[in-house]
Amino acid sequence: MKKLSQLIIPLLFLASTAIGQKNISGIVNTSEGDPLIGVNIIEKGTSNGTITDLDGTFELTIGDDGVLVFSYSGYENQEIIVGNQTYLDVALIAGAYLDEVVVTALNIGRKKRALAYAVGELDGSSVATAKEVNIGNALAGKVAGVNVSNPATGAGGSSRIVIRGNSNISGNNQPLIVVDGVPINNDNLGSAGMWGGQDWGDGLSSVNADDVESMTVLKGNTAGALYGYRADNGVILITTKKGKKGEGISVELNSNFQSETIIDNYNFQQQYGHGLNGAKPTTEAEAFAQGLYSWGDALDGSSVIQFDGQSRPYSYAGDNLGRFYSSGSTFTNSLALSGAGENHNFRFSFTNLDNKGIVPNSDLDRKTFSTNTNITYGKFSAGITGSFMIEAVNNRPRLSDSPGNANYTAWSLPPSINIDDLLGDPNKPGSNADGTEFQFNDNVFVTNPWWAAHQFEGGNRKNRIFGNISLGYELIDGLSINGKVGIDRFTESRRTLTPYGTAFSTLGQLSESNRNVQEVNLEATINYVKDISESFGINLLVGGNQQKNSNDLLGGGGSNFNVPFLHTLRNLANQSISSGFSKFQVNSVFGQAEFSLNSALYLTVTGRQDWFSTLTDPNGAESKNSIFYPSVGLAYDLANGLELPAVVDFAKVRASWAQVGGSTDPYQLGLTYGIFGQGHLGQALGGVNNGSVPPIGLVPSSNTELELGFDVRLFKGRLHLDMAYYTRETTDGILSASISAASGYGSKTVNVGKITNKGVEAFIEIQPVRTSNFTWNIGLNFAQNTNNVESLLTPEDDGEEIRLEESRTRNAYIHLVEGLPFSQVMGFEYERDGSGNITLDENGLPVQGALRPFGTGVHPTTLGINNSFNFGDFGASFLIDIKRGAVIYNATNAYGYFRGLHEETLEGRETGIGVVEAANVEDYYQRIAFGISEEFIDNANFAKLREIIVSYNFPKSLIDKLPFASGSLSFAARNLLVLSSNTTNIDPESTYTTGNGQGLEMFGVPVTRNYGLNLQLKF
Amino acid sequence: MKLTIYKIVILLGAMLLFQTSCDDNFAEINTNPQVAINIDPGFQFSWVQLRTSGGRYENWRAGLIYSSMMNQHMAALCGYWNGDKYTFNGGYNSSLFDQAYREQVKDMQDLINTLEQGEVGDQTMLGMARIWRVVIFHRLTDLYGDVPYSEAGLGAIAGIDFPKYDTQAFIYADMLSELEAAIGQLGSGGFGSADLMFGGDVAKWKKFGNSLMLRLGMRLSEVDAGTAQTFVSKAIAGGIMTDNSDDAFLEHTNGPEGINRNGIGEVLDKANGFGDDCPRLSATLVNGLQASGDPRLDIFGIPAAGGHNGLPNGLDATTIQDNPTGTDINDFDRINPLLVTVSTPMMFMTSAEAQLLAAEAAVRGWTSGDAASLYNKGVTNAMKQWQHYDASLVIEDATIDAYLAANAFDAANGLEQIGWEYWLATFLNEYEAFANLRRSGFPALTPVNYPGNVTNGQIPKRLAYPSGESGRAPFEAAKSAQGLSNDFSTYMAVPVWWDVN
Repeated sequence: MKKLSQLIIPLLFLASTAIGQKNISGIVNTSEGDPLIGVNIIEKGTSNGTITDLDGTFELTIGDDGVLVFSYSGYENQEIIVGNQTYLDVALIAGAYLDEVVVTALNIGRKKRALAYAVGELDGSSVATAKEVNIGNALAGKVAGVNVSNPATGAGGSSRIVIRGNSNISGNNQPLIVVDGVPINNDNLGSAGMWGGQDWGDGLSSVNADDVESMTVLKGNTAGALYGYRADNGVILITTKKGKKGEGISVELNSNFQSETIIDNYNFQQQYGHGLNGAKPTTEAEAFAQGLYSWGDALDGSSVIQFDGQSRPYSYAGDNLGRFYSSGSTFTNSLALSGAGENHNFRFSFTNLDNKGIVPNSDLDRKTFSTNTNITYGKFSAGITGSFMIEAVNNRPRLSDSPGNANYTAWSLPPSINIDDLLGDPNKPGSNADGTEFQFNDNVFVTNPWWAAHQFEGGNRKNRIFGNISLGYELIDGLSINGKVGIDRFTESRRTLTPYGTAFSTLGQLSESNRNVQEVNLEATINYVKDISESFGINLLVGGNQQKNSNDLLGGGGSNFNVPFLHTLRNLANQSISSGFSKFQVNSVFGQAEFSLNSALYLTVTGRQDWFSTLTDPNGAESKNSIFYPSVGLAYDLANGLELPAVVDFAKVRASWAQVGGSTDPYQLGLTYGIFGQGHLGQALGGVNNGSVPPIGLVPSSNTELELGFDVRLFKGRLHLDMAYYTRETTDGILSASISAASGYGSKTVNVGKITNKGVEAFIEIQPVRTSNFTWNIGLNFAQNTNNVESLLTPEDDGEEIRLEESRTRNAYIHLVEGLPFSQVMGFEYERDGSGNITLDENGLPVQGALRPFGTGVHPTTLGINNSFNFGDFGASFLIDIKRGAVIYNATNAYGYFRGLHEETLEGRETGIGVVEAANVEDYYQRIAFGISEEFIDNANFAKLREIIVSYNFPKSLIDKLPFASGSLSFAARNLLVLSSNTTNIDPESTYTTGNGQGLEMFGVPVTRNYGLNLQLKF
Repeated sequence: MKLTIYKIVILLGAMLLFQTSCDDNFAEINTNPQVAINIDPGFQFSWVQLRTSGGRYENWRAGLIYSSMMNQHMAALCGYWNGDKYTFNGGYNSSLFDQAYREQVKDMQDLINTLEQGEVGDQTMLGMARIWRVVIFHRLTDLYGDVPYSEAGLGAIAGIDFPKYDTQAFIYADMLSELEAAIGQLGSGGFGSADLMFGGDVAKWKKFGNSLMLRLGMRLSEVDAGTAQTFVSKAIAGGIMTDNSDDAFLEHTNGPEGINRNGIGEVLDKANGFGDDCPRLSATLVNGLQASGDPRLDIFGIPAAGGHNGLPNGLDATTIQDNPTGTDINDFDRINPLLVTVSTPMMFMTSAEAQLLAAEAAVRGWTSGDAASLYNKGVTNAMKQWQHYDASLVIEDATIDAYLAANAFDAANGLEQIGWEYWLATFLNEYEAFANLRRSGFPALTPVNYPGNVTNGQIPKRLAYPSGESGRAPFEAAKSAQGLSNDFSTYMAVPVWWDVN
């Protein structure tokens, strides 16, 4: 290490030798007088620097008015104005990071050493350089215990973040998102299910990565206990950037470009063409009827008729996915003005994100205006922070089932059909000369992909504002009072069009709706901080919060356009209106008391009481609508309290216990009737409104967690190990349990079940190399969560199951199963005889066996490995993301079997299989396709090279010649390589929903590989 | 400045103080302002009637794709019209089960529960509702065998989440006694115009109730002739439907919403934007109509270019090319669009069926009626019932008489003749056509034997339950009680209880 620095430093000297320079030398010691080796010394504002030698000494050539910055992990930074000194004797003060402050619940900054729980921290740049359109997806692999699923839903889609495992049987399992101290709505606005649909996005996607200063992940119950019921699934605290003190107004320009291309996992057979029964079609009608099947003859290049009556060579038509999907691109440009003075700071920013998706004709445009402005006036302080966002998304890709799903068809064309031959009228892709859908097969519900992509519409516009105004006053020294009003409001307008001329709806359908969603939080707190004596301090907080949510919707829709292709509501022959409204309120009081002894032992207790309108009986009957959430935590810094070896910089042990819980949706508690005022033949209609059996005696769910952990830093901060063990038990889960349709209802809302999550999280930071010009950091984050559904409807472990999702193939499901982890992928197995051979029926076809669980759809084991290197002005990092232990139902392969596309269906085409003749071999595979789901349940383990970043900071010598204060250029790539995977034809991360039913795949948007450049300039 | 401080303190203090009331107004906040707490029984009865007519979902799958093909009213080449070829599609099989309990049974039970409380409504309403419940359940059990019955639809009323399956024998016994009791409740009052079928006409309801009893009684002819005779006689004595004005059907309109439309029309009504062009009249139907000189040929079908021609069942796009009667789908009769629009009526039971069943009872010697005249009445009404669909679909009396003269009732072949006519009378009431076909064995259809069929080349005997019921205790019990295997695709070959021939 030293040799390297000796080699590099003289080179640097050469490079930086110039007029007006001088040499300086010196020594750096600890405050106890021990020399410090490897202290970073940088001339402020330049990249000129060195490190201290084995004896703590250094030499450096600097400018005449140079200022030196000394930094050393575990010690406070020190700046020294050199002036006319030539020798410096510097003493660094230990323990800087021990006083590092981290943002915790309610935006309270607390010393890390005082925390009795694990937190994850992320710098804003870690989500801003290698961008994702949804910031949630950029968290993948970066924080131990935070499991991010990348759904296959397109750029405007949602993310699914689960911290420390799923603990709620139904409803939300995703964390609370808090921006600058105020919760924002992160509801999914709709996702695909077995019958298809689109991902309409979520709330987190509105957070602009370029505005993020830092993120703190509160993983456990204790960490989030002050949020009461909302902390059930952890909390992600996002702090936006503030203006920083400097010279005048700083202008920052950030320009990011990303290009994305599909990762082609497609590996279907290329030997047999369209047709059935091993034969080529001979008529147009036959070719049309067989347009979806690849059970024809071996491809021989002969001229064979196709769906459109044209004869073309019966040979492999080439890469249809490549023809269909275009390369996507995302431009993100942001401009920020910021500054600060003695009593104020401000930052204003504007960001424009312009995305073109890989599915033709899909795009997303998002403009974000943000501010974070604060003033202090004596003892009075005030701040305003918030964002205003305008988002327009066109053509959110349809997923899962076939109607309108371009992906479905693009993936399932016979190898002898060229997707370009489905284009039809080039001026109106996918259409006949008369403007209607150009069908290529007799199933009207399998839509021409060009028609689906270009003529269908499914987009939304969203205007959103979220932010807060805060006021504070310090009454007397140590006693302050704060109030905060936060609002999150958005209006979403949505339009979904099945155009006139679509085969399955020849006169077309349209629906348009407007939705207003609002949450207001009023919060007031009183805080008292006092050091009672030298060794004993207290920090007390009491407060209250009122949360009010409302959601209303007004829409119109209908079918049958009178004037062809005039796609307006008023042109519909059949019109209907829809309207919806709901509101709820939660009132809370809370308090926190922290006691510290000798700055080593910290005891924190919190309590919060929540009252829920949603659990209050509308008819005034007795209901348990309130619950108390306690927590207690203890942290002890062994290094500060005990004599430990000198290599130990810091050693904190911690233990905590907390209980939080959850509520339910409004209007669940009574049986009500919906009225259809338009009625039928002049008679009004009305029926039971509830699709779910109204519950009796519903109470808040409860979630209890014990967390133990330690945080150790060794070797002057070069090894950092933070480990946590937790055990969490969720009881009385509020569940919409799927019940027999014969009950009249699809589900029932009940307090049931017990789910446990136990796990370990480890965060390890190692700095193998630290020299003045080169550092290498390794960050490992590992989590292993053992989830178990202990009981469901009844308290006993008696094999009960609850259905969460169903595949369109109707033979694979996601269940909760007692005694097994969350989200079991259920499938029908092969019936086998005693010796394990597959049973065949009298026709030689496999027989469907029992329905059984095949494994969880949620990865219990995650590992992120990040390596970062800094070499002078260059930086590089790569992140490997590994997940293990889950399975996925591969419906693409099931259809591959059904249609004769899958490579495995080649077997027997010439010879038959057993008694099944060659001409009927499709019967064999089709029986498996939709009968025996076991065949299509794949191991979903993977390792991916998730992210690579190479960055270059413009050196001072270059900056001096340019009108910038600083600048950097980065290359970033995401999802570059799949290092290992066990799925065929699909990516292991291909689920089409961000809901709880994880583990089903079906014709989603292909996974993409992104490359991009990021240019940052400051003026 | 001092004043300002106090203002702030007061403001913040006030924000905390609201907490002392903690859950004030919460009951009001948690009251949904958009729905009703109570409902007029008439609104709900109209709703249930309309839902029983059904949506596109189950009419398409269980009704058309399976029933109409299996009973050979229609035929199709399209691969997904599985019923034509006795191949298995689990979701299509279970579609009526999937829909009926949530869309029909739930509100039916809720309404009956309300009426039984006696605070609103009257006994006549209750009687009508109980009769309607039989309409719903006999379809379910006829199609699926043992089904949840006595505990069904009670999720909210009695907290039964997983209702037990009752045997078909039990269900039939109970439905028959329900009909008897319900008919007895019919008196003054009733639903009036909220009854979308008869406008509250109690006399018609009595005939309808008795006719249903006749249908259900006759359904037991092979498995329990004694009970069958008892209820058939009782029904006829009580007064069954005699005229086309007694026919039980629901009118539909084209919108404003999907619920208003005829579910079959939502599949086949091309003029109104619904695009499934797969089915054609079957060769069995067309050939039979032609052989007997039946004037209904022009009612049922639109002749293809070469004249009326029925599509043989069991063909696909390849095998059609070797078919001697036509090699292109357009060589065959489409169903007359006037019968299958979104605004055509949905038939539940007609006087023709009632008269034909009465004729059968006479043939069997269970009643003293004149089989020939009942048969003639049944056929006459069956010829005239198509006017309900469109006023233009008239068959003149003289034409009917000529048909009857040419196809005179012959007691020796009476059951076969009645079976054939019943099959024609239930065209577009495909659930019923499929059920009576299985019971009576008439018309004697030639099954197809398509590769991959799941019935061993026999006419299917039932449809399969939702595979999602798998593993649930009540279902598992019903499965073993009926000797069904794990493999849902085998169910279509297994007869239901009353189907012993």
